[in-house]
Amino acid sequence: MNRPLLWMLGSIVVLGLLITTMAGVNLSSQTTSADGQSPIVLYCAASNRAVMEAIRERYQDEYNREIQIQYGPSQTLLSSVDVSGAGDLFLPADDSYLKLAKQKGLIREVLPIADMQVVVAVRRQDADNIQSLDDLLSDSVKLVQASPETAAVGKLVQQTLQQSGQWDDVSGATVAYRATVTEVASDIVVGAADAGFVYDAVLHTYPDLVAVELPELKPAVSRVAVGVIDQSKQPTAALHFARYVSAKDRGLIQYDQQGFRTAGHDVWADVPELSVFAGSMLRPAIEDTIAAFESREGVTVNRVYNGCGILVAQMQAGQHPDAYFACDQEFMNQVHDLFPQPVQVSQNELVILVQKGNPHNIGSLKDLAREGLRVGIGHEKQCAMGWITQNTFREGGVQEEIMPNVTVQTPTGDMLVNQLQTGSLDAAVAYLSNAAGAGEFLDAVQITGIECSTAVQPWAVNKESSHPETASRLFQKICSAESQEIFAAEGFRWRLESDEIR
Amino acid sequence: MNSVADRPPHPPTSIAPPLRRRSDAPFFLVMGGISSGFILLIVLLLAADILFVSFDDFIAALKKPEIQYAFRLTLLSCTAAALLSVWVATPLGYLLSRFQFPGRMAIDTLVDIPIVLPPLVLGLSLLILFHLPIGGWELESWLRDRVGFPVTYQWPAVVLAQFTVACAFSVRTMRVTFDQIDPRPENVARTLGCTRGQAFLQIVLPQAWRGMIAATTIAWARALGEFGPILVFAGATRMRTEVLSTTVFLELSIGQLNAAVAVSLLMVLMAIVVLLILRLLGTELGS
Repeated sequence: MNRPLLWMLGSIVVLGLLITTMAGVNLSSQTTSADGQSPIVLYCAASNRAVMEAIRERYQDEYNREIQIQYGPSQTLLSSVDVSGAGDLFLPADDSYLKLAKQKGLIREVLPIADMQVVVAVRRQDADNIQSLDDLLSDSVKLVQASPETAAVGKLVQQTLQQSGQWDDVSGATVAYRATVTEVASDIVVGAADAGFVYDAVLHTYPDLVAVELPELKPAVSRVAVGVIDQSKQPTAALHFARYVSAKDRGLIQYDQQGFRTAGHDVWADVPELSVFAGSMLRPAIEDTIAAFESREGVTVNRVYNGCGILVAQMQAGQHPDAYFACDQEFMNQVHDLFPQPVQVSQNELVILVQKGNPHNIGSLKDLAREGLRVGIGHEKQCAMGWITQNTFREGGVQEEIMPNVTVQTPTGDMLVNQLQTGSLDAAVAYLSNAAGAGEFLDAVQITGIECSTAVQPWAVNKESSHPETASRLFQKICSAESQEIFAAEGFRWRLESDEIR
Repeated sequence: MNSVADRPPHPPTSIAPPLRRRSDAPFFLVMGGISSGFILLIVLLLAADILFVSFDDFIAALKKPEIQYAFRLTLLSCTAAALLSVWVATPLGYLLSRFQFPGRMAIDTLVDIPIVLPPLVLGLSLLILFHLPIGGWELESWLRDRVGFPVTYQWPAVVLAQFTVACAFSVRTMRVTFDQIDPRPENVARTLGCTRGQAFLQIVLPQAWRGMIAATTIAWARALGEFGPILVFAGATRMRTEVLSTTVFLELSIGQLNAAVAVSLLMVLMAIVVLLILRLLGTELGS
């Protein structure tokens, strides 16, 4: 056998050894969890590497679950997520990539982490000479910036300066466009440029550079957030780690130390407990959605359904839920100090419920005043429905005539429906949604010409909540298309515009 | 008969007429000047890197476990990719060199595609190939679930990404090698009773040895510098698919210029050592 052939055959053995070694090295680097769980795969912008490594180390120590992180440029990672359909979490350099991913249907939940402000980076010794936008336009200053086509910071600078009409000047003074924000910073460090637009958080790892904040760039703020990949096979585990990253007493400590601007956010809990107060009328519309949310997120939602007056009384007595979904705006107004930012989600109409076939031939509110009729209504103080009913009676000028026929006042509409079904009432004034599941036994008579017979349901998160982000995600779930369908099926009309959802 | 020692010595060839020496000076000045310009550029590049990073930074970078892992994986994957490349390039280069067959030009062009394609596109193409659903069947899922050999975002993806580009260069080298080997000896061997296979193994392969070493060298060097396809197809997962080229990128992206330069210098050292070994091997075998 000739020597070259011998070497060729020998190379097969070498190749076999190399492959075995690589497989061995790779296996030895894996830290399998004690319970054999699959690792969580995170696609992470390379600029977050320093922070994320520290967070991962702490998380793995605490929960003994492996986190595999793939670093790269945000756009490249987004393409990888798109093509491979694999992975659990995506953390790009800023949330514009998450918006893109969401438009493509690649991302479900988004958990905000921190904000970054666009500033001008200059070398420490040049800081006195470059203090304003005019200084940047000087011929003696070599200005570089990240390309608006490839980097979020470039896009943000362009948008901000276009709005103030200064973009053309700045663009004309730019000597080079770079692909990423770190390339801009590196150019300044090595002396290839004098100044460039970067995020303030980026400068934390460049001790030779300082930030110059320009008033023109004040609106140029970018957000870092982590998104859960739609096709994740372990969304609960992914959300667990995502919550850990975005918790103010866990991951955000590292982000703080690295110069990111963090504010608000949840307190860490392995299994967070969220308490939600909601009017009873909303129960059929939100119960399944909340159960699905609990299952996906791995959280517990303690919901309390009751008449809104009772719920308000409980809150005034000291119970402070994380979120409140009221039957009507009036009851939200009574706890405005706890819930300063409510949004109006849905509306529900008051109707007259009668037994199937309408045996008493009731056609309007006036008919409820007929002698001998047994009428049930909501309790004026205990629920929104009762309060609105009284307003509607007053507005219709029939309050004094009907009230003698009112045999029962209940805190919830469901009780009235039950009493109608058992035949203990001839008619009841309740929400259309109360009759949604009882179409076989009841008919609904519309109340016309009285505007206040419509209740509007607002949602708000408690300003003192320990889990405002989790509560916001629950709200997003309630605003999902599937949930809106349930609302419609239960007799509610959806009011909230999509841009109001947060 | 005069012995060799008795013969008059030939005039020394190194002594040229005075006129010729004067006329050669500008020639060597121009040629040497242009050549040394490029050599100087490379030396200055390396010098700049060495001056930029301190010895302590270099040692600190080498002590990082992730860089040590990347070093090992780089060494292993580049060698595997280079060996695979030569194994593929030798028969393919031979066929392209010796035979005319339908579609030869198309194959010749296809082989060059990885050379001309932007590296990121190549990585993306590999990623798409492994995840393209064809009637409900997907290569990656099949490899992972049926064969138990996942590729994407694992070390095989590193080797495959390196191999795809490196092999194209190897094929080019091997084809040129076989073009330069006279086909007459193998034809003679066949007339003397050798099969085509025996002629190839016993006549052609020993003559192609230097070309194979060159092909291995080129493939190894190309694999070392591979970055884009690895980033897209294999990812840059720490202690899993991170090779030195991705380490440089990752260190740069968090502003660790010193570490990035230190790793770059490490790559230069690796390249010098491995390329020298391969060249020495080629010289030894050639002799």
